[in-house]
Amino acid sequence: MAQQQPDQSQQVPEGQVPTKPLGRTGVQVSAMGLGGYHIGSAETDQAAIDIVAKAYDHGVRFFDNAWEYHDGLSEERIGKALKGKRDGTFVMTKVCTHGRDKQVAMRMLEESLRRLQTDHLDLWQVHEVVYENDPDLIFAPNGVAEALTAAKQQGKVRFIGFTGHKNPEIHLRMLAHNFPFDTVQMPLNCCDATFRSFETQVLPEATRKGIAALGMKSLGGSGELIRHGVVTPEQGLRYAMSLPVATTISGVDTMEVLDQNLKVAINFQPLAANEMQSLRDQCRFLASDGRYELFKMTTKYDGKVGREQHRFPTVQELPI
Amino acid sequence: MPQTSAGTIPLRQFGRSDAKISILGFGGHHLGEAPDAKTAVEIVHQAVDGGITFFDNCWEYRRGKTEVWMGAGLKGRRDKVFLMTKACPHGRDGSLALLMLEESLRRLQTDHLDLWQVHGMVFDNDPDLFIRKGGAAEALAKAKQDGKVRFVGFTGHQYPHVHLGMLNTGFPFDSVQMPLNPFDATFTRSFEREVLPELTKRGIAALGMKPLSGKGAAIKNGVITAEESLRYAMSLPGVTTTITGMDSLEVLQQNLQIAQNFTPMSEQEMSALRERVRPSAADGRYELYKLSLQFDNPEARLAHGFPLDTQQSEVRDMMGTAENTGHPWPERQF
Repeated sequence: MAQQQPDQSQQVPEGQVPTKPLGRTGVQVSAMGLGGYHIGSAETDQAAIDIVAKAYDHGVRFFDNAWEYHDGLSEERIGKALKGKRDGTFVMTKVCTHGRDKQVAMRMLEESLRRLQTDHLDLWQVHEVVYENDPDLIFAPNGVAEALTAAKQQGKVRFIGFTGHKNPEIHLRMLAHNFPFDTVQMPLNCCDATFRSFETQVLPEATRKGIAALGMKSLGGSGELIRHGVVTPEQGLRYAMSLPVATTISGVDTMEVLDQNLKVAINFQPLAANEMQSLRDQCRFLASDGRYELFKMTTKYDGKVGREQHRFPTVQELPI
Repeated sequence: MPQTSAGTIPLRQFGRSDAKISILGFGGHHLGEAPDAKTAVEIVHQAVDGGITFFDNCWEYRRGKTEVWMGAGLKGRRDKVFLMTKACPHGRDGSLALLMLEESLRRLQTDHLDLWQVHGMVFDNDPDLFIRKGGAAEALAKAKQDGKVRFVGFTGHQYPHVHLGMLNTGFPFDSVQMPLNPFDATFTRSFEREVLPELTKRGIAALGMKPLSGKGAAIKNGVITAEESLRYAMSLPGVTTTITGMDSLEVLQQNLQIAQNFTPMSEQEMSALRERVRPSAADGRYELYKLSLQFDNPEARLAHGFPLDTQQSEVRDMMGTAENTGHPWPERQF
């Protein structure tokens, strides 16, 4: 059976997480990114700061976040943790208008910059494009797409993109607008490959358009693929990192998980095509009803703010 | 108890068979929300007197309570109705489905069903699991052959593509049940647009459900009235019956009045209604059965390895069984 717990027998190896090109931007980013949501789940501010410091020491330079994560706590923690380290890091956060207009987006940008203690973002993405009418709302007159353009023109953000975890078709509708996105973030893991797949439907389209792909949910969203013994952390992370992506964003809320991830990332060697296929085959049966991709099948990963704006029941009323 | 209107409801032909069923169907799930068995029996009696002939149920609703109550209500009236219940193998073996059938027949106090459907085809691999060797398809065929059920079908509320996958297994279904309402009509994943025409083409009886889009939130929020919703669903070309839940005599009366006096909406009225609700249909806020597992019962979730929701009434019923009252639900009517 696959390994159930992070292997604590080894120290994190010497060396640094490798870098990869961010699409056609000319910028390099670390092949592993630190997920912003889980930084807000770490027990204390100090624990979060220690996680960031150790990740940074081993070459992690891509820092993910979102305006709405833990009501701002995730951004505040990253702001504190990166104090004095801002140069050379790639800081991303996401805007959470969920259908509201450009002015709301620009206000969120100022709040994010303040919490992150910086005067600019490397990447600003539209968060959680998961509702079927989101593309229409995003590209409506005075919608958030206009805010992305304005923020880039004002030099407040270097690059722009969007994220979502639900439905490849929604991503494709976003891309069909031919808006100059620099990045697109999506779930990529060895179950996704054979089920309502971002890997087979969205990744080739992003690559064709020269848009950098950012992977997330490599281990099922909350490590379900590891906890249930479907794959080992190494298999899951290496699979995601071996796809044509700029980075794989992984959430870390404890040192143990960080060490587990760093071991894989520092020693990263891409899987061969036949190894990738054998992992897809190994996961195919359990992938086929979506049980390990709850973000596609349920409302579990749909955040509070998006639910409010779309008049959906709260997390308490509709957990999944 | 208040008296509802006795009368008749228009009938429609069930697929290509010679059976006819009322255009309004009595939903089994909500019967379990009646305050007690006596009320439930009275609701069933008055539904039959009001002209409803199609009765829906399911092996897994409220741990059997709704089948027991409906069976008690139909005692002496069985010949007047077209009785349906559903089996809940959810991908598991056909032999399990046949055990469920025996249990359903016993609870419903009958020796045969008019219609037996496979419940809740919502996961992408359900068609494969259904048609596999030893799967539920074999149980449907056997039950029909043995004369225990007259007709067979399947139900589901999430994805039109799963319905189409079921149809593409080639199994000879007599009926298919699906959500049909004005919100479904314009949402990106529409049973009305994707599945209903296919059934008409194949001569399969189309059974509509969730005419009030599940739990009636759109009605509470004033987006649409119950009458508009029901009339829309019943007016869809090709639909045989529209199943809706009735947990009180008041709701029954409201539905009977609409069905007894039913005149179909014109295409123009239907189109106007679709357009009116389009903005709030676009993100699925009133079709949570398509976007969450809220409407998926514990059997479906357990068989497919999905988490349970401990707030769900079905799950609370399950927990109640741990009380060892000797009854499958907390009350002691039977």
